[in-house]
Amino acid sequence: MSLPSRIEAIVFASDEPVSIQKLRDLLEGAASADIRQALSELQAHYGERGIRLREVAGGWQFRSASEYASVVQQLWKTRAPKLSRSMLETLAIIAYRQPATRAEIEALRGVRVSSSMVAALQERGWIKVLGRKEVPGRPHLYGTGKAFLVDFGLNTLSDLPDITELMDKDEVETTIESKETEAVEENETAEA
Amino acid sequence: MTTGVQASETGTDTALSPSVRLDAFEGPLDVLLHLIRDQKMDIFDIPIASLTVQYLEILDAQQPLDLEFAGDYLVMASTLTQIKSRMLLPRPELDEEGEVIDPRAELVAQLLAYEQYRAAAEELNEYPRLERDIFVRSVFPEAGEIERPLPEPDLDGLLLAFRQVLKRVGGEVRQHVFMDTMSVREQMAFVLERLKKGGIILEELLDRPGREIIVITFLAILELWREQAITVVQETSFGSISILPKARASEISASEVAA
Repeated sequence: MSLPSRIEAIVFASDEPVSIQKLRDLLEGAASADIRQALSELQAHYGERGIRLREVAGGWQFRSASEYASVVQQLWKTRAPKLSRSMLETLAIIAYRQPATRAEIEALRGVRVSSSMVAALQERGWIKVLGRKEVPGRPHLYGTGKAFLVDFGLNTLSDLPDITELMDKDEVETTIESKETEAVEENETAEA
Repeated sequence: MTTGVQASETGTDTALSPSVRLDAFEGPLDVLLHLIRDQKMDIFDIPIASLTVQYLEILDAQQPLDLEFAGDYLVMASTLTQIKSRMLLPRPELDEEGEVIDPRAELVAQLLAYEQYRAAAEELNEYPRLERDIFVRSVFPEAGEIERPLPEPDLDGLLLAFRQVLKRVGGEVRQHVFMDTMSVREQMAFVLERLKKGGIILEELLDRPGREIIVITFLAILELWREQAITVVQETSFGSISILPKARASEISASEVAA
């Protein structure tokens, strides 16, 4: 019973990514360094096969290789639905700027963000409420959830490509405020 | 959300394709970026007058305007007009450090930031995604602990199974006097009685001597199914069909039939 084979069996049978910590608990006495070594051996072994050993969301998982997507998809009648641009943009903003409020997302996208879309992202576990911002109205602060890493094949958030933050929090605040003033002015004009 | 009226009849003299539809955009920033990039304007020195005219033309062309959808676009129209008029005022306005204040600065910052997240969103969409490009065992189409309801067969499935049973007993034609007593209601009571012990496979229920009794039992099953006194499930297509009691409903029907 070699270490790589035991790890292989565990990772295969698990229905979620298995962390090194978990492997260490299951394989009493195995050192983290040996587990890592065994994992990289396995990873090399699966190199060009139809399934790959991947590190996602802090754990290890067997996944089909993306180049075989079109054949595997035929197993099911339904396809994963296409994501709307508004959903993807909102998700990208939250991923890069978390914790972010809805007002911040709206200021950056220049459009209102619908509750149903936020709910759809929450339902998939891609975003979650991290807390509330201590400003009037105590709006929710959103961040990404574990399912975001799992579904997009990321190990940590730092796997996202680097981007320079073009507008810092203060600049966004100014935009939100000026928008609010504008809206108020508009209402006043409309009422007058 | 359809504001998709084409702007083909307005005869705009802009360089823009006249068939710009607002519903193809993700909001005013998206439209402005499209205009700026399409006409290779310098984003750090936007010809605000020309941009405003083109933007308003696109907006005008989307008649009738769905106000709920158009709100954000109208706010941008007023922002653009405001910037335009500020540009016309005697300048330069200077800030505390003596730098020239560009009325366009905030909009430009917003456009650049949006453009960046728009690109990030596109990139995110290209990532091999679980359940679209990459699969793991048994997470698709329903994940984990979700209980899958057993599919109900359609009438065809039931008839097919019935025909198979009939075919099997086909050769064995019995001389049988069709007795008055053999009524459908009686068989309904019989079926419900059998179901008291739990579910039963259709073929087992039909495993009785003689064509007539099979036909009548089958009719009884159909009748019970119609009255929703029983549940009929077929786990795989062409697989065996099970008849299950429907807890409360079956009790009521049984007493009815007995009476």
